[in-house]
Amino acid sequence: MRVVIADDSVLLREGLARVLRDGGFDVVAQAADADELRQAVRRFKPDIAIVDVRMPPTHTDEGARAAVEIRETQPEVAVLVLSQVIEAAHAMRLFSERPEGFGYLLKDRVLEIDDFLESVRRVARGGTAIDPEVIGQLVGRRHNSGPLEDLTPREREVLELMAQGLSNRGICQKLVVSPKTVETHVNSIFLKLGLMPAPDEHRRVLAVLAYLRS
Amino acid sequence: MSGRRVAQPGIAVVGVAFGLLAYRVQVDNLPLTTSLRAAATVVAAWSFLVAGLIAWARQPWNRLGPLMLATCFALLARQLRYSHDALAFTVFFLLGEIGYALVAHVALAYPSGQVVDRLERAFLWVAYGIAIAFPFAILLVYDETRHLRFLDPLPRESLLQVSPHPRLVDALQDAFGVLAYGVLAAAFVLLVVRKLVTATPRTRRVLRPLLLAAIAAALWAVLNGILTFATSPPAFMNDLFWWQILSLTALPLALLWGMLRARLARVHVGELVVHLEQSSPGELRDELARALEDPSLEVAFWLPERGEFVDASGRTFEVPEDGPTRTVTRLEQDDEPLAILVHDPSLRNEPKLVEAVAATARLALQNARLHAEVSAQLEKVKESRTRIVSAADEERRRIERDIHDGAQQRLVALALELRSAQRKLGSELDRELEGLLASAADELQVAVDELRELAQGIHPGVLVQGGLGAALEELAGRSPIPVSVESTEERFAPEIEGTAYFVASEGLTNVVKHAGATRASIRAQRRNGTLVVEVEDDGVGGASMANGSGLRGLADRVEARGGRLRVTSVGGAGTRLVGEIPCAS
Repeated sequence: MRVVIADDSVLLREGLARVLRDGGFDVVAQAADADELRQAVRRFKPDIAIVDVRMPPTHTDEGARAAVEIRETQPEVAVLVLSQVIEAAHAMRLFSERPEGFGYLLKDRVLEIDDFLESVRRVARGGTAIDPEVIGQLVGRRHNSGPLEDLTPREREVLELMAQGLSNRGICQKLVVSPKTVETHVNSIFLKLGLMPAPDEHRRVLAVLAYLRS
Repeated sequence: MSGRRVAQPGIAVVGVAFGLLAYRVQVDNLPLTTSLRAAATVVAAWSFLVAGLIAWARQPWNRLGPLMLATCFALLARQLRYSHDALAFTVFFLLGEIGYALVAHVALAYPSGQVVDRLERAFLWVAYGIAIAFPFAILLVYDETRHLRFLDPLPRESLLQVSPHPRLVDALQDAFGVLAYGVLAAAFVLLVVRKLVTATPRTRRVLRPLLLAAIAAALWAVLNGILTFATSPPAFMNDLFWWQILSLTALPLALLWGMLRARLARVHVGELVVHLEQSSPGELRDELARALEDPSLEVAFWLPERGEFVDASGRTFEVPEDGPTRTVTRLEQDDEPLAILVHDPSLRNEPKLVEAVAATARLALQNARLHAEVSAQLEKVKESRTRIVSAADEERRRIERDIHDGAQQRLVALALELRSAQRKLGSELDRELEGLLASAADELQVAVDELRELAQGIHPGVLVQGGLGAALEELAGRSPIPVSVESTEERFAPEIEGTAYFVASEGLTNVVKHAGATRASIRAQRRNGTLVVEVEDDGVGGASMANGSGLRGLADRVEARGGRLRVTSVGGAGTRLVGEIPCAS
């Protein structure tokens, strides 16, 4: 899989590139700002671009804006946004209504190397990766209200993993349970929240996130 | 001064005598004229005498008075040329046409007595030149057989005659008729109309009566000039005489009316005394404008320590140059500037009025100056407070950015290296070394987390990225009690978003720390150019600005942005904190 990395810190960029290469990725280009990123993506047409939200010159949200642009102009390129701070509403705006090939993770997640590589792979394949913290904020906002109350702690865990974009198999591995158990939990959750069972994982993420945001 | 006192009665006596003589000469020498008409010409000239004497006495510095007196004598001189005495005829025929040029001069010089406009000056030079040159030339070539226009056909003797030249006399008379009564009179009308059109409203009000009379007189001249060339003068030719007399007499009357009006204006000064008692410093300008009948009036005060003029609210006032549309009057006290009045130029001719108004308002002006001074200081303090808060905010943003983009990035990168090393060497290392690597990486991760929390507390990065609505959501998400958020998604200037955010975060901190609340709500909405942030809880209440709790400091921040902070907190019924921050546009 071909990757473009955009981050203004050389140190981090190099570290990230090494981790990705070790993980079997082909890092085709590294960009230090949004303009370089746009050029690299146009030129190399990678499977995925990993983008830091804050880059020069203003260090506000150049990276995020470039990410949105890439998703609009080159939908075939997956985008994984890394942010120093986690903020649900902003993440959801970037996410838009299209969960395919989009990720939004706290920057520190790169330190959990296996999970991180898995997220990159998932997003590059057209999946979704939403930071647990984002989901935590979305769930947290709904403190003690409505059907979420009815979920068992385990179901809540499964719900959060689903919202992060994990597949059933991913959830199995994460919780160390059998696929059958996960399926049961998922069905129960959809029932309790009054959601229509989704035919594929993309729509499932969308349905769960839509529920959490509402 | 004393010279003028002696001169004035003398001039009056001579003027009257001259007038009687002019009457006599007309009655004796013009068989066609009636004594009524002769008297009317003298009365018209005397009206200049009266107005001139009054104007001179009132405003000795104004050349308008002497100018009007000269006009009187020149108009009378015109009547004396009918004399058949050789010397009288020669002298007064020579001077006879200057009268109308002087009338034009009076009109253009009103009310200051000076003609400043270059075009008007040029016009007067030409008018005087023609009024003297042509009669002089005619006297040089005077021929007894020729009929002089407006004069009886009886022969006279020119003492200046060089050689008689009948044709030339006719030609000169025709040319003079066309030039003086046609071209010059028409040009004069245009000049006067231009003066009226370009004047400021107040000036126009002052000029109008006199200039309308002048236009009427000039139109008479034009009509008269045309009709003298007609082969058979129309029947109303006789009535034109009365038009001339009336318009000429109206001129000095308009001047007297103008002076009377200026005197009447001083009645306003009396009213001013009463009004100033009841008005605030802020209304001083309006009161002065009314007293001076000049709505465009501006007042500015001298601030010695700043060495500049300021307006009533303490802002620097640019003193305009004296010009055709604005005039500056400086008021002083103890040789120090006190204030300036910037007003309509027409007030320049009513210095008594301005003086009276200024004297009356002196105390109020001093008062207003103190007021402006305090306003200026307050303005400065406000500005510096805003600057201080802005600088602090900017510093917070910078520190947050430095942490995120500097230290945090490096630590993450470093942790990443350790993790990579751990993975690569994992199988080759002994357990102890691997454990060391792992715990170092873990420690780094904790440090990164703590650093992020710290940066977030200094300045929420979310605010920069996602705006107020996003930052408030994030704030609510981190709160240990349920918090509902209702916020505009609109973006505002960073300092406004920052202030609003701190109202919410400080309010929420108080709720969690002191209120014992079970839930809280945050609202942020734009209302009429103000960003209103409300934090409400269902706790024990009792919060106030006075009892510390950081609310005073928060109020300072909000006020530094020109807003205000209110707390409503009734014991047992929750607390409501409302911050209002102006957000232009």
